[in-house]
Amino acid sequence: MNEQISVAGIYSPPFKIVVKYFIAAIISFIIFNLMLVIDYKSISGHHFQPKILSINHILTLGFITMIIFGAMFQLVPVVLEVKLFSTILAEIQFWIYTFGVILLTYKFYYFSSNLSFVLPALLLSLAMMIFTINIVISMTKVKKWNITGSYLASALFWLLITALAGYLLSKNLDKPFIKINHLQYLKLHAITAFVGWVSMVVMGVSFKLIPMFTLSHGYKLTLAKWSFVLINIGLLGINWIMHYPDTGFYNLIFGVLIFSGIILYLIQIFIIFKKRIRKKLDIGLKFSAFAFIMMGFSLLLNFSFLFFNYESIKNLTLLYGFTVLVGYVSFLIVGQMYKIVPFLVWYHKYSSKVGLQQVPMLKDMFNEKLAEIQFYLMIAGLVLLVPSLMIEIEILVFISFLLFALSSFIFGYNMITIFRS
Amino acid sequence: MLNKEITKEDVIDSLKSVIDPEIGINIVDLGLIYNISINDDLIEIDMTLTTPGCPMHGSISDWVKRILELSFPEKKIIVNLVWEPVWTPEKMSEEARKQLGI
Repeated sequence: MNEQISVAGIYSPPFKIVVKYFIAAIISFIIFNLMLVIDYKSISGHHFQPKILSINHILTLGFITMIIFGAMFQLVPVVLEVKLFSTILAEIQFWIYTFGVILLTYKFYYFSSNLSFVLPALLLSLAMMIFTINIVISMTKVKKWNITGSYLASALFWLLITALAGYLLSKNLDKPFIKINHLQYLKLHAITAFVGWVSMVVMGVSFKLIPMFTLSHGYKLTLAKWSFVLINIGLLGINWIMHYPDTGFYNLIFGVLIFSGIILYLIQIFIIFKKRIRKKLDIGLKFSAFAFIMMGFSLLLNFSFLFFNYESIKNLTLLYGFTVLVGYVSFLIVGQMYKIVPFLVWYHKYSSKVGLQQVPMLKDMFNEKLAEIQFYLMIAGLVLLVPSLMIEIEILVFISFLLFALSSFIFGYNMITIFRS
Repeated sequence: MLNKEITKEDVIDSLKSVIDPEIGINIVDLGLIYNISINDDLIEIDMTLTTPGCPMHGSISDWVKRILELSFPEKKIIVNLVWEPVWTPEKMSEEARKQLGI
């Protein structure tokens, strides 16, 4: 198989559009960490209240999903070797989405304000639909399909289901109409968002990026395929049975399918890491490796919910939320950003100068020492947060959040350094 | 008097200045260059990448073309990106292995 090279970066979308999403996400991440410090009292008090929903959505929509959008605009074209259908749609989506995130988190924060939940939910759903259309049309042009493509396609489906459940919940908050327990919908919204959308993207992309960064070779992706099947059947099942009463047994079965799928995924990742040629993990991969460990840990925690009654432990939902959203997802995203952002900027600024002048290496584009400090600050914050939340010592919760905030400033500083280099 | 004849070693020397910015190792030591053929007016390179679908796809081979055009302006340069045989770590030089700590 042979191909002639014409121009560089034929598949890459414009730098500007990806960067816009990334910058908005980095700002959201810092705001999220600041909000934790400002509102530490309401967080350490009760585990379910509007302010927590607001802060949670700053992280999940403002940071996590925003990053995924930006990263997918960049990665779908290069991984599937296809051009992005429309950068104009990506631009329109950005503004609708950002406005939606601001309105929704504002409304959650000031719960009693006059703003309806429906408007922000509609804006967010619209933005997600535009995104899906843009990526799906791009995908129809793919010549060589691969496992990453399958994961990303199913992630899009679950994104729309998440948006639909979120929209129904928003209508219900305005004027209750859902006949079955609306907390069921909330659970569905969270599971579909976390497993179907975020994790499916993370998994699919990791099969491409982790071997690329670690130079892993000589492994098969069999487990990845099984993981894909099990998780999707599990999610379909849970979405289906939720509409019927007394489904505890089926819930358990579909739950076990999802757990098994994630375990197979983790084994697959472990195999890839084992087969790596670059033995030394750089800071981006350290963050990622820690994230995978936390993914396994949160899975164990989740699995144990089925067998033990934890009612005696307060704030467990919150603790679980931090383990998953900070320990697993945020660590992974921060780690991958330390790999992807330098590449994007380098590609944009230096690619055309190779051979004509001295160009930097990617690792020289940010302060790796500071990134290491950020890594340990985040771990320290997480380790301190667990007992502090469980035994409800406000001042310790506050200190954990301060450590998080400090680490997010370092992250922001390093990202600015990369963009300016 | 004819120009000094271009040898494979000259081409390899030029190619060594193309460094993968992520790994920090040049493409020759990484074992990405599969074949170099030099004719009267043409230099043709067959090269691969460590992973198909790598974001560097296109750019590394463009750099190769540019550097060779600068080094050997009298020659036409053709760079073919090939995926067979698949790149394996065994294709790396001793030097590259040392740098990666293998």
